[in-house]
Amino acid sequence: MADYQAPLRDMRFVLNEVFDAPSLWASLPKIAENVDPDTADAILEEAGKITSGVLAPLNREADEQGCKWNEGEVTSPEGFKEAYQTIVEGGWNGLGGNPEFGGMGMPKTLVAQFEEMMQGANMAFGLAPMLTAGACLALDAHGSQELKEKYLPNMYSGVWSGAMDLTEPHAGTDLGIIRTKAEPNGDGSFNVTGTKIFITWGEHDMAENIIHLVLAKLPDAPKGPKGISLFLVPKFMVNDDGSLGERNQFSCGSIEKKMGIKGSATCVMNFDGAKGWLVGEENKGLAAMFTMMNYERLGVGIQGIGAAEASLQSAREYASDRIQSRAPTGAQQPEKAADPILVHPDVRRMLMTMKSYVEGGRTFSTYVAQWLDISKYSDNDEQRKHAEGMVALLTPVAKAFLTDRGLDTTIIGQQVFGGHGFIREWGQEQLVRDCRITQIYEGTNGIQAMDLMGRKVVGSQGKLYELFAQDVAAFIEANSGDDALRPYLEPLAASLERLSDVTEHVVKQASENPEAVGAAAVDYLDMFGYTALAYMWAKVVKAAAPKAEGDTSGFYTGKLKTARFYFDRLLPKTVSLAEGIRSGSEAMMAPAANEI
Amino acid sequence: MPEYKAPLRDIKFVMNELLNSEQHYASLDGADDATPDMVDAIIQEGAKFCEQVLSPLNQVGDQEGCTWSEDGVKTPTGFKEAYQQYVEGGWPSMTADTNYGGQGLPHSIGLVVSEMVGTSNWSWGMYPGLSHGATNTIEAHGTEEQKQTYLTKLISGEWTGTMCLTEPHCGSDLGTLRTKAEPNADGTYSITGTKIFISAGEHDMAENIVHIVLARLPGAPEGTKGISLFIVPKQLPNEDGSAGERNAVSCGSLEHKMGIHGNATCVMNFDGAKGWLIGPENKGLNCMFTFMNTARIGTAIQGLGSAELGFQGSLAYAKDRLAMRSLSGPKNPEGIADPIIVHPDVRRMLLTQKAVAEGARALIYMAGQQVDVVHSGKNEEDRKHADALLGFLTPIAKAFLTEIGYEAANLGMQVFGGHGYIAEWGMEQNVRDSRISMIYEGTTGIQALDLLGRKVLMTQGEALKVFTKEVHLFCKENADNEQLKEFVEPLAAINKEWGDLTMKVGMTAMKNREEVGAASVDYLMYSGYAVFAYLWARMAKVALDKMADGTSEEMFYNAKVQTARFYFKRMLPRTRTHAETMLAGADTLLDMPEEAFAL
Repeated sequence: MADYQAPLRDMRFVLNEVFDAPSLWASLPKIAENVDPDTADAILEEAGKITSGVLAPLNREADEQGCKWNEGEVTSPEGFKEAYQTIVEGGWNGLGGNPEFGGMGMPKTLVAQFEEMMQGANMAFGLAPMLTAGACLALDAHGSQELKEKYLPNMYSGVWSGAMDLTEPHAGTDLGIIRTKAEPNGDGSFNVTGTKIFITWGEHDMAENIIHLVLAKLPDAPKGPKGISLFLVPKFMVNDDGSLGERNQFSCGSIEKKMGIKGSATCVMNFDGAKGWLVGEENKGLAAMFTMMNYERLGVGIQGIGAAEASLQSAREYASDRIQSRAPTGAQQPEKAADPILVHPDVRRMLMTMKSYVEGGRTFSTYVAQWLDISKYSDNDEQRKHAEGMVALLTPVAKAFLTDRGLDTTIIGQQVFGGHGFIREWGQEQLVRDCRITQIYEGTNGIQAMDLMGRKVVGSQGKLYELFAQDVAAFIEANSGDDALRPYLEPLAASLERLSDVTEHVVKQASENPEAVGAAAVDYLDMFGYTALAYMWAKVVKAAAPKAEGDTSGFYTGKLKTARFYFDRLLPKTVSLAEGIRSGSEAMMAPAANEI
Repeated sequence: MPEYKAPLRDIKFVMNELLNSEQHYASLDGADDATPDMVDAIIQEGAKFCEQVLSPLNQVGDQEGCTWSEDGVKTPTGFKEAYQQYVEGGWPSMTADTNYGGQGLPHSIGLVVSEMVGTSNWSWGMYPGLSHGATNTIEAHGTEEQKQTYLTKLISGEWTGTMCLTEPHCGSDLGTLRTKAEPNADGTYSITGTKIFISAGEHDMAENIVHIVLARLPGAPEGTKGISLFIVPKQLPNEDGSAGERNAVSCGSLEHKMGIHGNATCVMNFDGAKGWLIGPENKGLNCMFTFMNTARIGTAIQGLGSAELGFQGSLAYAKDRLAMRSLSGPKNPEGIADPIIVHPDVRRMLLTQKAVAEGARALIYMAGQQVDVVHSGKNEEDRKHADALLGFLTPIAKAFLTEIGYEAANLGMQVFGGHGYIAEWGMEQNVRDSRISMIYEGTTGIQALDLLGRKVLMTQGEALKVFTKEVHLFCKENADNEQLKEFVEPLAAINKEWGDLTMKVGMTAMKNREEVGAASVDYLMYSGYAVFAYLWARMAKVALDKMADGTSEEMFYNAKVQTARFYFKRMLPRTRTHAETMLAGADTLLDMPEEAFAL
């Protein structure tokens, strides 16, 4: 197992050379006051040290140990508590937080890099700061001034952690049917009663207090998703002076035994008349959750890249070290018993595929983060609205496509190791198990696809899609005279056209057949993702090509070759996907349930 | 944990209606016992054993795993007793040589039983499964004395077997192995070395374990041509045939692995262990190749099994779990929501699993019939034809079925949403268990090189033609069948394109050897989808014919046609990508300097 090294070189390339993030930051006054290129670079450097030096070394052992439950108390794996303390001391929890309440106000473009490092180094651990940041976002956007002042500073510092309590035993995807109740006490507080499951880091020993954001129904609330409210329910009551009071009426009933992310506690939470406070408006709980959803979903997509990066680092090291058979064209290292397996075309196919997904994925997540920054911080209404549209469209793609490709990558990374890939000590199989959850939580990838195709594309009659298509078309147009880019622009234009045709086709189908969206959705999202990655690789070529000549480091020429590989070997997947989509819904809907 | 139910209706469909087993068995030498009634009884009994004894132990095996101590390896609770029942039921001897206590039934029946055993509990099934390798080796290459000593015990199941190939530094590349065999004065050999990843290498289920070990004789040529095979028993046989004194071979440790926890994956240390040469000196690898196809088809079953098990679990869940309303209006208005099987995307996941599991069954049983003919065909021509066909289908079955079987297992888990990730439901175990299938018995990459390099290109495409001719004939015979048109037309197109692509890849490979490895995995996957297209078209034909004749099982046959349709519309288009990428050339793979991978 290679020691995880934060991919700082590539992150700097993406931030500075592909997207010129410093110019974007300078153009957004609310960001410009918090960050400049030097600060950003220092943050990256320090994040690299902490994730590689503190979090990564705990990853393997935490998988073996898991969390321990005892009478409602949860003990985290060895070293987690201390590592969490390090994260708190470094102020990492509040990196993207609102400065008014003690956050650092850093742009998402930068925070996304930190997130990737943390998730790549240790996903089970990384979930704790991730959930806390999500809870902070929801609270910051919808909480009363009083709640924010009382809770946000300690959550941004990380002294208190956050948890999101949505799922119930019978209700996951379909939150409209949850049963947890909230009854008003008359003093502005509520009594929350019900059972929540799959609550990540719902209970643990790393922070002094745990702040739960809980979805529940008020008495007489309308049925379905429009009758759900959001409540803040702290593990320990917080006194007016900020000190901790008595224990609230809820506890962790058990923790799940699961496939991966074993170092994290996945809790059943029992609320027995626990005291809580309303966040946002009554019955608008789901809407309140949605404001943080875009950040969370991008964050999960980034987990996919993180795991994939870690897998790639080990796989390429193994492929250079492991000697096995000779190259087809004759011995490359005749002095050894065999050649390193990196000489074999098929091993290279695997590594290049991994590299294409990881680096292309990183570029894409940064691209989406850029739109998030503009949508949050721009003071130009039109620009902001445009960015919001992009975020709405691209978020489900980032979540599902990056986690699907993340899992593909970790599986390939395991395959490069042959039989050793199946053995725990090498770490490759853990990455597969850890990464597998990312396709499920925060809305399964099937749900993401429905969101993209149904709510976003068809729901806007294709208008949101046009925002993206125009962005790509403008890039093609602007660079049509660039010789280095030309070989990429043609296939990019062709795949964009293919995607646009399919989009039009499905929008039309959807008006006639309500099942058309569900039948096309997953393949459509995949196709969108592959096209978006082609766009990213074209952007990479644009940034790398001028520096490739005389490049002795191999970095820039390597980028060009990986781009070539992506266009020749991976982008053709869109051809199959388009054909499957066009075959319509009949093949799926015709069989009766008992015929399946 | 999904409760395994042997899919008897579909097993019979494939055996009897698709592949005409009765006729097939009648055409073999010495398969007189394989009457329809007999075959049916065997499968019924096997199903009962798998459902009632093996399936309940599957999760136990995963959770307990095997435990190592100085005294040996302890298998999970119930494994030993289940094996005892298996032996008492006479299962190990079913397809073995009648001269050594076997029942001499055709191998294809053994594969059906292996499917049920493997689907209900793969980890357990590997213990008797590994015995097959040892049995086959000794049957094919052992002396009469070796057969009397070992074969009888392996066939009765009193002893189990292993295959000791891999060493710490060599897996795919056996030419570099280091285990030594030094001749003793009495004709035996002293074997010294370390073997890893030895499945069922040590356990408490049988009284003795017979290891088949690859090792080098002193002065043997380097590389693959200097490897010999040895029989190394855990306990040396006494004169009377019983297990005697302990040999100098022991299990050093067990691997901690992703799945198949119920099976012991052993590091085996040979410290001058006593062994007997089997087969000619330095021809060990060739000897192994004689039954490589059978062994690999055995592993291919894991792809079928993981798809079937995931499908059974997720289908039940999809009918039961309520979430959201159907977009075309409520289907379960009295409930709080509709069962998730109403949603198109859930159906996509279920139908993909169904198409994979049932297609895989057809492919494995078809290959199984070729194994029968290779062993017991009545004339040389038939045997040769079957051998060529089997050689061609084997790498496809092994790699393609395990790849899409793993995909199917993941879909089964995905249908469960968050619950799929939780151990108690068993779906994640199915994914973890099945992951190894793409690795052992030759990785997917190795199978692809075998298919494209050794089988197809080395025969100038003849190996492919053996199969495409059969497909062509089917298309021609059914060209005028209106109902079949939606299947036969695309099948004919794929069949032609398959040949064209092979030609193109062959031409580039003549100029540059690297092109084989650059195209191989895409070529193999393309071939798998093409074979499935043929099988699904044939299954659709059988089903349509039955419905035309009138049947009380309309729903079963209709489902076949619909699954075939799903396959053609939703899965076969994957060939478009493979057709393009297999021709993308080696340059994009080889241009990148080694150092640049790490930048």
